[in-house]
Formats: sequence, C-alpha cells, structure tokens
Amino acid sequence: MASPTPRHPKARSRRVVRLTDLAGRWGFMSPAAVLLVATLAYPIFYTIRISFSELDLSTFSPGEWVGWDNYIDVLRDDRFWNALRVTGVYLALALPLQMVLGFGIAFLVNAEWRGRGAVRALFLIPMVVAPIVAGGVWRMMLDPLWGLANALIGLVGLGPIDWLGDPAWAMATIVIVDTWRWTPFVTLIATAALLALPGDVFEAAEIDGANWWTKFWFITLPLLVPVIAATFIVRWLGAVKMFDIALAATNGGPGRATNVINLFIYEEAFRSLNFAGAAAMAVIVLVGTMLLTAVFLRGSRMLEERH
Amino acid sequence: MSGASALGVRARHRRRRLLGHRLRVGGGVFTCALFLFPVFWMVLTSFKQPKDIFTTPPTFFFTPTIETYVSYMGRADVLHRMLNTVIVAAGAGAVSLVAGAMAGYALARVPLRGAATIGAVIMLSRGVPPIALAVPMFLVARKLGLLDRHITLILAYCTFLIPYVMWLMRGFFKALPEELEEAAKLDGCSRFGAFFRIIVPISLPGLLSTLIFSVILAWEELLFALVLTNRVATTIPVAIAGIAGDSVNGANWGALTAVGTLTVVPVVAFALLVQKWLIKGLADGATKG
Repeated sequence: MASPTPRHPKARSRRVVRLTDLAGRWGFMSPAAVLLVATLAYPIFYTIRISFSELDLSTFSPGEWVGWDNYIDVLRDDRFWNALRVTGVYLALALPLQMVLGFGIAFLVNAEWRGRGAVRALFLIPMVVAPIVAGGVWRMMLDPLWGLANALIGLVGLGPIDWLGDPAWAMATIVIVDTWRWTPFVTLIATAALLALPGDVFEAAEIDGANWWTKFWFITLPLLVPVIAATFIVRWLGAVKMFDIALAATNGGPGRATNVINLFIYEEAFRSLNFAGAAAMAVIVLVGTMLLTAVFLRGSRMLEERH
Repeated sequence: MSGASALGVRARHRRRRLLGHRLRVGGGVFTCALFLFPVFWMVLTSFKQPKDIFTTPPTFFFTPTIETYVSYMGRADVLHRMLNTVIVAAGAGAVSLVAGAMAGYALARVPLRGAATIGAVIMLSRGVPPIALAVPMFLVARKLGLLDRHITLILAYCTFLIPYVMWLMRGFFKALPEELEEAAKLDGCSRFGAFFRIIVPISLPGLLSTLIFSVILAWEELLFALVLTNRVATTIPVAIAGIAGDSVNGANWGALTAVGTLTVVPVVAFALLVQKWLIKGLADGATKG
C-alpha cells in the first residue's frame, strides 16, 4: 500500500487504514450491540416510560404523563409487598440450601471409582428438565390424594402433608422443586472446583496432624471462596427470575403464599391488564435486583481479596 | 506382612478409610438416583393408562401402553408446537451464537475503547428480570403486528442468550494463546479473516457446547412465549403450562407426563452430548495450554 507517493495521499491512506481498522474492531461488537439495543435497552426505556404514564387500553400505548402516581399506587398495594416478601423468603431458603447441598453432593460424587464420570453426567439431567415440566411433575408427585410423596412418607408413618394447600408447605414445595432442579448445577461446578484443589497442601496439613474439620475450615473453605462466590452470583441471577416453577407447581397459591414477584407482575399485566402498574413494579424490581447484584459482586470481590 | 502392632493400627486405619470411601461412593450414587427419580417417575407415568395413574398407593407395576402419546398427539397441536419450538430454539441459538461469539471475542482480544464498560453493562443485563422486557415487548409487538411470530420470539430470546454466549465465549477465547492471531496477521489475514479462519475452527468444541446450552435455554423458555405468542408460533412449554394449569378438566397427568417426556428426552440427549464436548474442550485446554 505504501508505495512512493506524494505526502498528502499517504496521510490520507493512513487515515483510511485507521478507519478500516476501527470499523473492523467495532465490527465484532456491532451485531450484538445492535440486537441488544433493540431488544434490551429500548424495552427497558419503554417500561420506564409506561411506568410514568397512564396506559391507554384502546390503543395499548402510553398516554398521559402521570408522574409518580403508578409508583405510589404500587407501593400502597399489599399484594406487591406480599410478593416481595414471598420472593425474599424463597431466596433466603433456596439459595443457601442449594449451595450447601451442591458442594456436599460434589464431595460425595468426587469419590474416586469407575462410575464417577457417569454419575457426574447423570447429574446434568435435572438441570435440563424444563422448569415448567419440573413444576408440573412435582405437583403430580405431591398431590394430596394420588401423589407418590405422601404415599412414601406414609410408609414410615409420617404425614399426610398438605403440600399444596398449606401456605408454609407450599413455600417448601417451590423451594424443594427449585432445589431439585438447580442443586445439580452447583454440584457440577463444585466437582470441578474440588478436583482442582491442590493436594499437597492437604498432605502437609495431615503431616502436621490436622483433623478433617481443621482441614475443611482452614484450607478447603478459603480455597473455595472464589468459586462459591461466583456460583452464588450466577444462582442469584437465575433465582430472582423465578416464574415457571411457581406457576406450574403452586400457581402462586394457596391464596398468595407462593406468589413470587415475577408471577405477580405477570398476572397484573396480562390478566388484570394493569400495564402501567406492572411496569412500575418491574422498574422497582429491576433497580432492586441491580443494586443487590452490585452489592453481591462487591462482596465477593472483598471476600476474594481477604483470602 | 509380618505382624507388628504398628502395622495392625495402620491396617485398621486403612480399613476405616475404605469404609469411608465406600460410604462416599454409595452416598453419591444414592443422591444421584434420588435426583433422577422424578424424571423416571414422569416417564413411567407417561406409559400408564388413566386407571393405573390414579391408584392409591401409586403403582410401579402395570401394563405399559402408548395410548396417551397416540391420543394426545392427535388432539392438541403437539407436533405443530414442537416444530415451532425447534424453529425458535434453533433460530435464537444461531443468531445469538454468531453475535455473542463475535462480541465475546471483541471483549477478550480486540483493543476497543469503552469495551470494558460495554462488557460490564452487558454482564449486568443478566440481572434484568424478563418481565420488565415482556411487558413493553408485548405492547410494541402488538402495535407493529409482530405478535405470534417466530421472529419476535427469536429476538426476545436474544436478550438473555447473547449476554450468556458473550460471557462463556469471552472466557473461552481468553484462554487461547495470542500467538494464533499474531501468526495469522503475519500471513496477511485481516482481523475478521483471523477470527473466522483460525479462531472459530479451533474453538468448535466451545462454540458447539455453548450453542447446545443456548438452544436448551430457548427450548424451555416460558414467559416470553406465553406473552408473545398465542396460536401460530406458540411453543411446547406454553402447551405444558396449559395442561398443568388446567383446573377445569382436573389433572391430566397422562398428557402432562407424555408431553413432558417428549420435551425432556431430546434435551437430555443433547446435554449428555455436550458433556463429552465440554470434557474434551477442558482436557484440550489443559494439555495444550
């Protein structure tokens, strides 16, 4: 390209090269950027706009600007606070349970024997059962009359438990179904993490006479902190979107006992056609999720630095 | 093995170790069986006649029949919905793989001003609740006459698949040695040439497993499908939601388990396939790194 040419065109060709280079570099980013602006950024702005206006149901488009009215209505709505509380209880129960079970099961699964690979592969299966199917099948198994669960616990003289009719047990139900589906995910990450632990550190500790508890508390756990934190955040991002399982297993009931926030917003928008209120709630949940995610990310970074 | 007391202690120690090991193996197998049981029960129920489904206590022994499959496949639009699900899942998987892998590569390797910010924003977008997108998408699609179309659902699925692919592939590309592109550049390849001729072929295991996971995520998505489709382009999860939530006809467990089984079997097959690729990809990375 750079043949003996006068000074001016050379400079121009250099600029052209730089521009093509720039275009080439942004070329990699642009398809994703265009798609995400159209399908992610624009809808978010549209949601915000709806949340500040009255939705005209004859045209299904945002009408008059009403300021914070929709937000005030939503914040006065007990059902909204109930949905937030229910979601909070579900998250507080399910996430720690899945983390502990996931890592515990990974310890069992990692025992060295011929079938280890097969067992690990089989743990993939619950993870890929569609959540709506999982919810439906568990609902079938927990049925008070024909279900397998009550028949089985009846064998040892327990129950019958009103899984779907009692508010507390219904919450337990969605936690159980969610834990069934997601613990294998934690397990699969944990098996890899546990296998990657440096063996010589444990040997050294054993020579020094450390028992299993000391080894666990002072070596295993600190070494696993980054993996635990990362897995927790991925699980958190999935769990706040809880919708399918609650819809299929309990449909938010009995009453509103398992009416998680996404289910409630969905019902408000598409059954009650209260799009403006739903948009206001969606914005509140969006902001809350972002803030909590930022807090968790900061927290995990701090934990990693400390160890 | 001449018997000193120290050896006896060691043997006892070893025996206790062996017992612990056996307990671990047994516990692992038992837990795995426990986790697989609901899937087994679903498949089992799908081969029952109604009179075998509704028994107390539930029975494990019965004459299997494919009656439910035959009758339900004929009645509801199961095949049509299955086809819709395939179109949407494959389309969304393909679009987001291309866009996401390129963007992931840009984040991993291409010097871009502001790329870090873009990356952070996109990663943060994984926290956006889908319902916050479903409401405006429904309203806009309704206005543009795009409701109940495959393309609408494909675009909607891009919102969570592209960030997912970017996130996975960025890590994958970062682990590749930089000499690959340097060599390509010396051979006169442009950035795009290097990416498509060198990087993509050697990343096939990673790309394929990412694609399969994306297709699975799209395959089982419910909320967007529920909101954005109603007849023409509707997918299998919507049908299952309809069966599971049908309070008028009561619990149609035969249909639920039969359609559930049809939905789960291909995905499980894919997932077990991915397992192989994933392990291979990981092993390659470990040995060639």
